[in-house]
Amino acid sequence: MQPTRALLGMRYRKLRLTTKDINKGYYKGTRTGSMGRHTKKGGYIIEWHKVRTYVCPPLDGFKLTPFVTNNMPRTFGQYSGDPLGPKSPALYLARWKAENGLD
Amino acid sequence: MAAMPLRAGRQATTGACQSIGVNKQQTASLSTTAALWKRHVYKGARDNADHSKNRGESALRRTGTRWRLSMSDEPLPKPVPRDQLPPIETDPNHGLWEFFANRKTVANPPTEDAKHGRSWTVEELRHKSWDDLHRLWWVCVKERNRIATANWERNKSKLGFGESEARERDMMVRGTMKAIKHVLTERYYAWEDAVKLAEKDPEVNLSGDGPTFTPREFFEEDQEAAALEEPAVSPMGEAVEQTEPGTGATLDPATIPSSKPQSEAPRI
Repeated sequence: MQPTRALLGMRYRKLRLTTKDINKGYYKGTRTGSMGRHTKKGGYIIEWHKVRTYVCPPLDGFKLTPFVTNNMPRTFGQYSGDPLGPKSPALYLARWKAENGLD
Repeated sequence: MAAMPLRAGRQATTGACQSIGVNKQQTASLSTTAALWKRHVYKGARDNADHSKNRGESALRRTGTRWRLSMSDEPLPKPVPRDQLPPIETDPNHGLWEFFANRKTVANPPTEDAKHGRSWTVEELRHKSWDDLHRLWWVCVKERNRIATANWERNKSKLGFGESEARERDMMVRGTMKAIKHVLTERYYAWEDAVKLAEKDPEVNLSGDGPTFTPREFFEEDQEAAALEEPAVSPMGEAVEQTEPGTGATLDPATIPSSKPQSEAPRI
């Protein structure tokens, strides 16, 4: 008796976790979330507030593409002096005061 | 009584055989003996005295089957060659067309697939508005759909080429989508922290009644401290405007300066 070769060749935890590695009751899921609920009698009721709806915005006249020309070098931000850089809340608040200031 | 229809059938078929000669095919479309002999019952349901389901059938006499066949006397339609068929009418503006690069081919050749630039960087997307990022995300989704359709067609046809170019293109699109997520997450965290900062800011009133933002010079005109603080605030505002220009609510994507050199320059 010896384990399978997959277990012999590598450390066990390098294999991905399956429901057979853990006690019963473990639900691994598919990272997708539910769309409703189960009933007592084994049925399933779809709850429409849980169902995902993806709305594509109107793309008429939109000229951006997923790509940028290779003639333009990759640009990186220059945030000298501020350790938080673009995450700085002071920067955000100052810009809000300068441009919006309403809501 | 049982033998009479058999005899009649034999006479009819032998006569037909003599007149036609060497034709060995079945001539009777259905057996005429069944209707004369007994009420019609489908095969399997018959329960007569001798339990013979195929009474009176004969391949030699070409009687045909005892049960009605699901055929009519109407002439069968003849197939029309494909080039004589009328053209199939499709909706030229159907949304499913967006899954293909063009209307003529199912997949772009690898030379066309390789004609793409680099992905957007995070810094470039920081200057874009929410609406622009939202639309750019969907442009990326549609591009990935197009690539996936071409991959599927290529696998189905077992063409054996083009996977590498499609993968490279897909990686660039995914890089752009990753940058969009980065920008939005960063913007959200900055907003969260800015709200906490604004609660302590005397210029900002988040209670809901009265103006949200009251610039300091309006209620502290007499103080000299305001004059001292203003230069400290304004360079920050200028720096903001330099790093993030044109992110107002009325930003037209057609006016973005990066799009023009992009269309003129070769995309390799």
